[in-house]
Parts: sequence; C-alpha cells; structure tokens
Amino acid sequence: MAVQTPPRTTSSPPTTTAPQRPGPPWTEKWGGLFFVAPFGVLFAFFLLWPTLSGLWNSFFNTSLAGVQQEFLGLRNWQEMFGDPAVWASLRNTLVFTAMSTPPLVVIALVMALLANRQGLLGWFLRFAYFAPFVLPATVVTLIWVWIYQPGFGLVNGLLTAGGFAEIDWLNTENRAMLAVVITTVWWTVGFNFLLYLAALQGIPEQVYEAAAIDGASGRQQLFRITLPLLSRTTGLIVVLQLVASLKIFDQIYLMTDGGPNYATRPIIQYIYESGFTSYRIGYASAVSYMFFLVIVIVSIAQFRLFGGRKEADR
Amino acid sequence: MSSVTIPRTKPSGPVVPRFTFPQVALAVGAVLLALVWLAPLLWAVDTSLKPEPETTRTPITWLPEAPTFAAYQSVVDQGSILRWFLNSTIVACLVTVLTLGVSTLAAYGFSRTTFPGRRVLFGLLIAGILVPPQVLIVPLFQEMSSLRLVDTYWGIVLPQVVAPVMVFVLKKFFDGVSRDYEDAARVDGATRLRIVWSVMVPMSRPVLGAVAIFTFIGAWNNFLWPFIVTTDPSMMTIPVGLANVQGSYGLRYAQIMASAVLGGLPLLIVFALFQRQVVRGVGDAGIKG
Amino acid sequence: MTASHPTRRTVLTAALGLAGVATLGGCGSLRRDARIREWNLFGGGDGARLLQIHDKFVAEHKDMAFEAHTLAWGPPFYTKLAMSAAGGRAPEVATLHLSRLKGFSPATMLDPIPLDLLAKAGITEPDFLPATWDRCKIDGQLYAVPLDQHPFVLYYNTDICAKAGLLGPDGRIKPVRGVEPFLDMLRAVKEVTGKFAASIETTNPWRMWWTLYGQLEGGFFDESGRDLVIDDAKALEALGLMAKLAADGLTPKSADYPSLVAQFSNGDAGLSFNGEWEVTTYQTAKLPFSMAPFPVVYDVPKYAGDAHTFVLPHQAVRNEADTAATIEYIAWMLKNSAEWAAGGHIPAYQPVVASPEYLNLKPQAEYRSVAPDVLFDPDAWFSGSGAQLQNEAGAAFAGVLAGRTTPRQGLDQFKAATRKLLDTPSPV
Repeated sequence: MAVQTPPRTTSSPPTTTAPQRPGPPWTEKWGGLFFVAPFGVLFAFFLLWPTLSGLWNSFFNTSLAGVQQEFLGLRNWQEMFGDPAVWASLRNTLVFTAMSTPPLVVIALVMALLANRQGLLGWFLRFAYFAPFVLPATVVTLIWVWIYQPGFGLVNGLLTAGGFAEIDWLNTENRAMLAVVITTVWWTVGFNFLLYLAALQGIPEQVYEAAAIDGASGRQQLFRITLPLLSRTTGLIVVLQLVASLKIFDQIYLMTDGGPNYATRPIIQYIYESGFTSYRIGYASAVSYMFFLVIVIVSIAQFRLFGGRKEADR
Repeated sequence: MSSVTIPRTKPSGPVVPRFTFPQVALAVGAVLLALVWLAPLLWAVDTSLKPEPETTRTPITWLPEAPTFAAYQSVVDQGSILRWFLNSTIVACLVTVLTLGVSTLAAYGFSRTTFPGRRVLFGLLIAGILVPPQVLIVPLFQEMSSLRLVDTYWGIVLPQVVAPVMVFVLKKFFDGVSRDYEDAARVDGATRLRIVWSVMVPMSRPVLGAVAIFTFIGAWNNFLWPFIVTTDPSMMTIPVGLANVQGSYGLRYAQIMASAVLGGLPLLIVFALFQRQVVRGVGDAGIKG
Repeated sequence: MTASHPTRRTVLTAALGLAGVATLGGCGSLRRDARIREWNLFGGGDGARLLQIHDKFVAEHKDMAFEAHTLAWGPPFYTKLAMSAAGGRAPEVATLHLSRLKGFSPATMLDPIPLDLLAKAGITEPDFLPATWDRCKIDGQLYAVPLDQHPFVLYYNTDICAKAGLLGPDGRIKPVRGVEPFLDMLRAVKEVTGKFAASIETTNPWRMWWTLYGQLEGGFFDESGRDLVIDDAKALEALGLMAKLAADGLTPKSADYPSLVAQFSNGDAGLSFNGEWEVTTYQTAKLPFSMAPFPVVYDVPKYAGDAHTFVLPHQAVRNEADTAATIEYIAWMLKNSAEWAAGGHIPAYQPVVASPEYLNLKPQAEYRSVAPDVLFDPDAWFSGSGAQLQNEAGAAFAGVLAGRTTPRQGLDQFKAATRKLLDTPSPV
C-alpha cells in the first residue's frame, strides 16, 4: 500500500470542485483500485469464491470424507425437491420468523416508549433492556435451558408454585418453538429497542409542545404524532428482523438440537447436518443454494415494499 | 441525530408538569419490565452461587442458603475457559481492527476515486450484502480446509472481515463529507492515503466508532462460523467452547451457570461502561443504514 | 462533549490488541515433548473416571505433553472429529464407537494403527476376543484398538428394592424372566417410590427398543444390507411394551439423559435402564445401588451395546514421535483398563478381564457374563452410537412414550426415515 505516493503538484488551483487533477496518469487512473484492493481480495477469497464453489459443488456428490467425486448433474437438486426434511426445516424457519418478528417489533417499541426521557432511570432501563443482546448465544441458551428445566427450573418452579402443571418446554413438540421464540425475544429485542429509542430521540420536542398547546392528550400524541413519525423506523426494523430471523440457527441448535422430532430444526441446521454430520457436502451445497435464493427473494421483495415507502417518506 | 444533544427548553415551565400520575405509572411499568428482563441473569448468578446439590432441590430455593464461589473456582481450574477468553479477545480485536481498516479504505476508494471497473465492483459489493454468511458455511469450510486454515486464528478471522454492509455504510457517510477539507489537504501535498487517515477518519469518528463497537460485539459473540472452523478445543472462542466442551462431570448446574456468567461478563462490563456510545452507535448505524 | 469517551475506548482497544499480538507471537514455539492430544466423548461418570486415569498417566509420563478434551456426546463429537480429520489438524488420538467405524470412512478419515508399534508396546491380537478384533479391521488394516464393551444393564437401588421384596437372600436382585414378571417387578418398585419404577431416557429410547427387539430376535437389514426387513409384529410388541410402561407411569413419559440420572439418584425411581457407565456418578452420590444384567423380558438374552475404541484420526502431517507416544498411551490405557472398568465397562483387553483386580469389582463385574450377548447396532454408514439411525429412532419413538403418537405411527415414521437413509447415496 505504501506505493500510494503520487508526487502532488501544488500548481493547480485549489478551489476547483472537481477532484480530478493532473497527476501521473497511471495512478490517477488506477490509484483508486489500491484502496479497494485489500477489501476486494478478501471479498473475492471469502465471499465470491465460496459462493461460486458452493454452486459448483451442488452438481457433484462431494463428500467431507474426500472419497470419490462424481458429477451428478441436477440429481442433488432433484433429491432436494423431493426431500421432506428440507421442506419441514424450511417451514420451521418460516414459522420461527413469523412467531418471533411481531413480538420483537412490538415489545421493542413499548420498551422504547417506556425508556424514552426517563432521566437517570433511563440508564438503568437501557441497560436492562439491551444487556441480553451483548451475551453470546451459548450463554443465553445455557441460562434458558436451565430456566426451562422440568422439576427445578425457574419457569416450572413458578408454574408449580402458582398451582399450575409443569410443562416440559423443550421436549414437547408444540412448546419447543415457543420456548425458543421467548428466549430469542429476550435476547435480541434490545437491538430493535435501541433503534426505536434513537428514532424517538430524533423527534423534536417542539412537536409535542405544539401538540400540548393544542390540547392533545398523551394518548393522542402517541397515536397521532409518535407512531406515525416512527413508521419509517418500523419499516426498517421489520426488514432487518425478517432477514435476521430467517437465518436462525444458534439458539435452536443449542437449545433443542432441532428436536423434539425435528419440530424446531431450521434449514441452516439441516445444511449443517447434511454437510458435516453426514459428510454430504454436495447435497448440503444444493440446499444452501435453495435457501440463498429464498433469502434473496425475501430481501428483494422487502426492498420493493419498504424501499418505495422510504422514498415517499422523505 | 445530533439534535438530541441540544439542551433546548430546559425550564419550559408548566408545559410538562414533572410527576403526573401517568408518568409515575409508566416509570413503574418500565422498571417492572426491566426486572423481568434482568430476572434470567439474576437467576443464573443465583444458581451459580449455590452448592451443586442445592441446584436440583425441589421446591426450588430462591437464594442460596450458603453462597459459595466453588462453582467458579472449578470452572476456572479446568483451565479451558481462560484459553477461550484469550482466543475470543484475539479474534474479536483482529476482526475489529481489520474490518475497520479494510472497510475504510474501500469506502474511500468507492466514494472518492474513479478507476476502470469501479461500478462493476461496487455492484458486486452491493450483491455481496445479499449473501448471508450462513449459507456459505459448507463451501467456506472446504476452502479453509484446503488452505489449511481450519483451527487457526486467520481461519476464524478472515471471513468475518468481509463485511460489505460496513463498506456501504461508510461509503454513504463519506459521500456526505464535504470535499473542502480534502482539497485543502491536497493543496498541502498530502497523499490520498494520508487524507484518509488525517481527514476522513477524524471526520467520521462517530460512525467508525459505531462500526467498531458492533463489529466487536458481533465477532465476540459470533457462534456459527467459529463453531464450523474450529474443531480443536484449544482454538475455540468462548461461545463455541462453552457449547462443545465439557470440563466437568456429574451434577454440574452451578458450574454451567458459573461458566455462563463468566462468558457473558466481559461484554456486559464493556456495555455498562460504553452504554452511551453503543446506544448512539445503533442510532447512527440504523438511521444511516 | 464526547471527547473523553473515544479516548477511553481507544485505550481499551489498544490494550486488548497488544495483549492479543503478544500471545499470537508467544505460542507455538518451544515444542520439545512428544505431543498427545486426546479427544473423547465421555460425559457423566465416565468422564470423571477418565480424568483420574489421565492424571495418573500424566504423572507416569512426564516426557509427554498430554492434553485431553471431552466434547459433547454423539453427533457434536463425531461431527467435530470428522471435520478435524478433513481439516488436516486432527488430534493424535480419539475415542470412537466400534459401531461407527465403517461409517466414519476409515480409509480417508483415519490413519491405520501401526501394528509394529503396538506390538512393541506389548499389545497383540491374542489379547482380544477374535470377534472384537476382526471388527476393528477394514480391508486388512487395523483402524481401531478396542478398549471396552458396554451393554445395556439394570441398575437397582438396593434400599428401594429390598422394601419391594425383590432382593434374594444374597442381597442381589432376583432375576425375572418374561413380560408379566417384569411388569410385576416394576409395579412393586413403583409402590415403594410412589413415583416411577425405572428411569429411562425417552429422548433417546433406541437402546431400550433395540434390546427388547433383539430379545424377540427381530431382524433389521437383509444380507445385502440394502433392504429393510423389520418384523412389524415384533417391533410393535417391543414399542408397545415401552409405551405401556410410560402410560402406566412405571417410567417417565418424557425424560432426557440428565433426568434419567437425576431420577435414579434422588430416589424418584428405584431402577434405571441404561448403559453401565454411570457407576461412578452413583458411587460418588453414595447411593445404595447395585447392577445386574437387564432382564430377559422376551425370548433370548440380548442386550444393546457397543464398544469404545481408540483411533488415530487422519492428520495431513503425521509426526513420528507423536504417533509412537500415542500408541504408548493406547497400550497403557488398555493395560490399566481395570480402573476404566471400575466406571462400569467390560474391558476388551482379556488379560485384565481375567485379573482379580477386575473380578473383585462390585457391582461392575456382576454383569460381565452378558458380553457375548451384546447386540451391536445394524451395520450401515448411517448407523451406530449417536449416528443418524439412532436419532431417527429417538425422533419417532419419543412421541410414542409421551403418548402423543401410537406405536404404529412411531414405527411407520422410523421405517420411512430408515428407508430414506437407505436410499441416500452413501458418502463414504
């Protein structure tokens, strides 16, 4: 990078707005590339290459064990479309996304409204609401598996103390996903909360003062001013959250390992299991690609949906 | 964003009376919610201070009858957790420093220079934002395995440095920085590299800070990639090591909670210290992004 | 106003960075001893036992740098081991279930055991039962050294069983044979505990089912290994019995492995159906207990089981001194396997099996007679301890025990899953 020292000629007038100035023609033309190069090389190696080699692998029966490699054509893809486990895990991923996104948005909003302009108390509230977000997935799941434990866990302890029946959260098919969602909301709502808080703090005080002078009640201020002004932030949060939720893996793998009876296994775990546990790199690559396409479609759809709105809001 | 800090209308009189009933109710509600949110953490600490047999007693005891640090002692004695702390620190620092460096340069390159192919490369970068790292685990592991980078720091770090979205955020920020300062520096004979360092970096300190904080938290907490690329327990980071390696046997809930508390503590402390920057960083990144 | 904060942050980051750089340069140098990194999957009582044995090994071998790690049992362990072999930096030695050997792709993922070094360390073929030794050889190469054998057994709480009138005059549990006597025994225990008769692992009920199905002499694959020949009537009989136990409250409807241990430890259950490896846990807990072969509930004595072996995961660059030290470690472990047997396992190394040191172990030597009747998992690349076939059984059967699905539904799901695995092109 130290090559980047073109002798500057101070002769040219400094006030021209166009930055293109006569220098050695080679560096002027190509010099910019040097700035992009370090990132570009890493990008090529660790993003572009695996993206392409993954596609390539999906046409072979590549094995982690490094044994025979044969060209399969589209057979991995055919197998995938007929593999119920692919669709079941894709469904689990979508169910998780659908279950987790609404509370992650609504609770974040409520938290932001509660914590906004609370003075000294604000520090404590921000800490409490956001703290879980800085914990690693493993710490979160160790704590929550312990909390959900039948017999001596906190949740069941509270349930039995209140005279209710115990629930074996993580080993019951229709409870396990709910348990994971509760944990996820606890863990990650803090990020959305901060986004809302920043947006709330960006609303000028005068708006409320003017409304108060006009006799608007607190409730009216909330529904007529605050929420409409937050709509752009809400759009942003929903977009970020949907894509983040689709990539679910950590919590589920660590809490239920996809069980019971695969009722919570997300698509990324199926990719992991096919590729590494069962050695089937080629097949896992095909599934990865299918999921990649799903994410791209969702992202583009959102971009269309919310991108348009964003422009209109400006 | 910056309008937050403007201390306007301080003594604005009776427009907003200080403590009305709804305000108190809201504050109480807020505190209750905060306590609910802290409860799991407190329960973890509580459990970690119990002697093992007490952890599985029914009905559960709320406070340890005889608090003890024995669980912490045995977790630390098993040794691995300190090694994982070190690995996490090395990895998170490397990722943060490299991401900042590489992304700043690239953002400057895209924002301020022209070179043949710039548009194409920028298009690739934008497309790269769409590629979720999660779907690359299989081919990336194969690549690392042929590069002999499995179970190395570089194997953990390098893929995490490729963060097109950071380049994008920084480029958008640089686009908004007036060119006057640069031109002035150029007049003084500064090279473009020097301009990046002495003009762009200081000008964009808040946004770089935000990028740094989130890169660091992200790298420290990243589970999936280090989980894939490390198999040797002595190369694992905190989240991976805690999940995969067992250091003790038999009844060990107190120890598990002790290791969870230890694993979560560093970033909790960092967050408590730098709360203002983190909160502002999210706002900046969110509103810019 | 924020001027001071970035400084604080910078200082912190810089300090952490420096610490990081210092260590990056600091490690990896000065390697003088032969290095042995051992990975195992022994949790619970086994793990505790292994730790003590390893401490002794380290004390006797000051010239070796020895490091052992326990990874989470089952798929996590095997996936990591396979990935490390594929990555080229595998540990020097690892444990592996004998039932997993073929499916692990030994030709590419393991390095053959050098027989000359093994012989030099004093371990030779006649030290093992021929059947065991043969299973460790693939294509004429030895890929694994057997350490033990571990059948599914019966643990019983002696206090509870005495109250239930199940003990003979010698203080041992009276053997029962047949379904009704078996149920009577469980009912008697439940009466005493007031909760469960036996603790079982419903999340992974494979071993119990495979034991019962084996006692009915049910088949699994045909001779070609490509067709499923499960006998529905027998499979349903076994599964139905398990469902009945759960439905009658003799066993829990839902319990994972830690619960199995906890329920036997705290007296919620007077019996426990499990592999024999939790001896140390219960001894440490000072539980009044003993062990016996699992009852012959049906026709023939068969007990689901497996064997632990030592293997050399494939390394891209193998260091001779390390390999020699590793073989020495394996040999030492076999010769000292009476201590390992104290944790419950039946040693594979015959000189130890015949030794008074082993024979005097109580209750560990009480069930050694079952060794010839240990039933390995079906032979397929997706089968074996912690492999996919067991997972599929867990997924399908846990619902049956919980009462959510019928045995018929559970069996159909399991068979469909197994057929799908059979249809999947083998990656090894």
